[in-house]
Amino acid sequence: MTTPVLEVQGLRKHFPIKQGLLGRVAGHVRAVDDVSFSIAHGETLSLVGESGCGKTTTSRCILRAITPTSGRILFRDEKGDAIDVATLDRKGLKPLRRRMQMIFQDPFSSLNPRMTIAEIIGEPLLVQGMSDARERQARVSELLRLVQLPSAYLNRFPHAFSGGQRQRIGIARALALNPSLIVADEPVSALDVSVQAQIVNLMLDLQDQLGLTYLFVAHDLSVVKHVSHRVAVMYAGRIVETAPTTRLFTAPRHPYTEALLSAVPVPDPRRRAQRIVLQGDVADPSNPPPGCHFHPRCEYATEQCRIETPELTEIEPGHEVRCLRAAELSLRGVASQ
Amino acid sequence: MAEPILRVRDLSTYFFADEGVVRAVDGASFDLYAGRTLGIVGESGCGKSVTARSILRIVERPGRIVGGEILLRRPSGQVVDLVGLPSDGQQMRQIRGGEIGLVFQEPMSSLSAFHTVGVQLIEAIRLHSGLSKKAARDRAIELLALVGIPRPAQRVDAYSFELSGGLRQRVMVALALAAEPHVLIADEPTTALDVTTQAQILELIARLQRERDLAVILITHDMGVIAEMADDVVVMYLGKEVEKGPVDAIFHAPRHPYTQSLLRSIPSVLAEPRARLATISGSIPHPLARPAGCPFHPRCPDAMPGRCDVDTPVEVTIGDNHVTACHLYPEPVA
Repeated sequence: MTTPVLEVQGLRKHFPIKQGLLGRVAGHVRAVDDVSFSIAHGETLSLVGESGCGKTTTSRCILRAITPTSGRILFRDEKGDAIDVATLDRKGLKPLRRRMQMIFQDPFSSLNPRMTIAEIIGEPLLVQGMSDARERQARVSELLRLVQLPSAYLNRFPHAFSGGQRQRIGIARALALNPSLIVADEPVSALDVSVQAQIVNLMLDLQDQLGLTYLFVAHDLSVVKHVSHRVAVMYAGRIVETAPTTRLFTAPRHPYTEALLSAVPVPDPRRRAQRIVLQGDVADPSNPPPGCHFHPRCEYATEQCRIETPELTEIEPGHEVRCLRAAELSLRGVASQ
Repeated sequence: MAEPILRVRDLSTYFFADEGVVRAVDGASFDLYAGRTLGIVGESGCGKSVTARSILRIVERPGRIVGGEILLRRPSGQVVDLVGLPSDGQQMRQIRGGEIGLVFQEPMSSLSAFHTVGVQLIEAIRLHSGLSKKAARDRAIELLALVGIPRPAQRVDAYSFELSGGLRQRVMVALALAAEPHVLIADEPTTALDVTTQAQILELIARLQRERDLAVILITHDMGVIAEMADDVVVMYLGKEVEKGPVDAIFHAPRHPYTQSLLRSIPSVLAEPRARLATISGSIPHPLARPAGCPFHPRCPDAMPGRCDVDTPVEVTIGDNHVTACHLYPEPVA
């Protein structure tokens, strides 16, 4: 793995809370509050966390579906030059759009019901200037083959397909323009288990075959274990821990990661867990607690955690933690089989 | 073991749509005991939720219970067949909510946004008891405390939208327990929740079960939740029970090819990173196009042509309380 395709530095997205008739700004929801990470070519980085942690807002900033409040989003082009996507205007973004694609969560609402499969997958090709119909058709057939759908399906409409097949169509559409980065936001969480496995395998196979780079946004740690090279855990707008997959699962260094791992139900009645059941609710990003955002729920918190905001610090090569006590705590991960 | 509190025998609930008949539940049979949890697990369209709705007699048209018995032992000791009762009659209304509590998946849409939590709880309490408004309010505060809601005396006047998802689901549990039922049906109670909140709610249900000797039916698609919570398990596929048995047998000695494939295809935090998952080929058929014979045969790795696609397998006992419906396990010759 070489130079990063994407480098995010100090990303912030604050949404104003408006009140009253005049829309006076009464505060801010700090949805993303100082997020930094990078993704190498051919790598899968998973962004995990619970609802409201800012993982989806982060991915929407990267795709520039929304404009970040501050921070840099460096995207490397084919020549190796870094472009800061965070500040580009519409015109500047257009050539980059083809290089960043998205796979959506809900295969039922993300495909236009009035378009045939050929039109859905062919549309990005048309938008980016492939005007020759025959050329387009050939490319669409090739894409269908990649996602293992028969080309006989070309002229059908989305309603004729199951959830899993629709997700394959969504993947084919994302692949159409040979993107450098694919952002997949909960791509399998709406699917049944038996179909979910097929899509997870397909995404892994396509990555090996085509050298794809994924930013995988998910809440399900089991799925994350199966797809990621590295994992970043978010809590209340901040990354609290980043590590290679095996390390994060077997030797977590942040108390939130430990609690998150212990909360995952394991499909084995002989391993009914001694769970760490966190008290209280996820921190409110419009009114986050001072110091470490996690301290009110953390069983290891000290007085210092209430006052001092920890920084994301590298404690071992490739393993970063945002915890004042990271060096002294010994935390429990999940054992490998 | 004691007498079951609920006995379901050959329950069949069909939906009569213009396009054809959907056999949503097709011959379900199981027993539920006080203090134990029965897990019903399966993927979309397997009939797990319709089973729950049938027991509560809240199946909506064009659905109808077409056969079978649902035998509930009432506190008086009398056994009634719920199938024979009018669904909106007085007896059924006493049982629904009174003797069988229900927790739904979506706490946002199951709670009223127009009434405070307290008003909804007080209504549920007074419906099934003769308490005065004042006494019912005190009882509501007690219930909120029981389900672990901080500052219950203030929260009783909160609206559901002022609460987080986890607290809302706790209110749902409090509502389900308002009339002190003996049976609790939880239909995907944690599916809409985050994992750490899910852990809180599962722990709450387990604690209440211990304290009150509740009989719980837990309906979920999540094998992990089943492994954590259930004593006995029913695995369903397209309206049919394919396998049922004690939780340990289902996870460690599954016999039906569907149970086996399903267990292999679950992603696990214990797996090697980037390990490929075992898959089940194809997808779940449309309920109107249920395959003949065994409904799983088109996706089954062990299907026997000429048999599985023709004859519907019957349930065969293969171990201690362990039953499967599969042609691989021939009926014992009587």
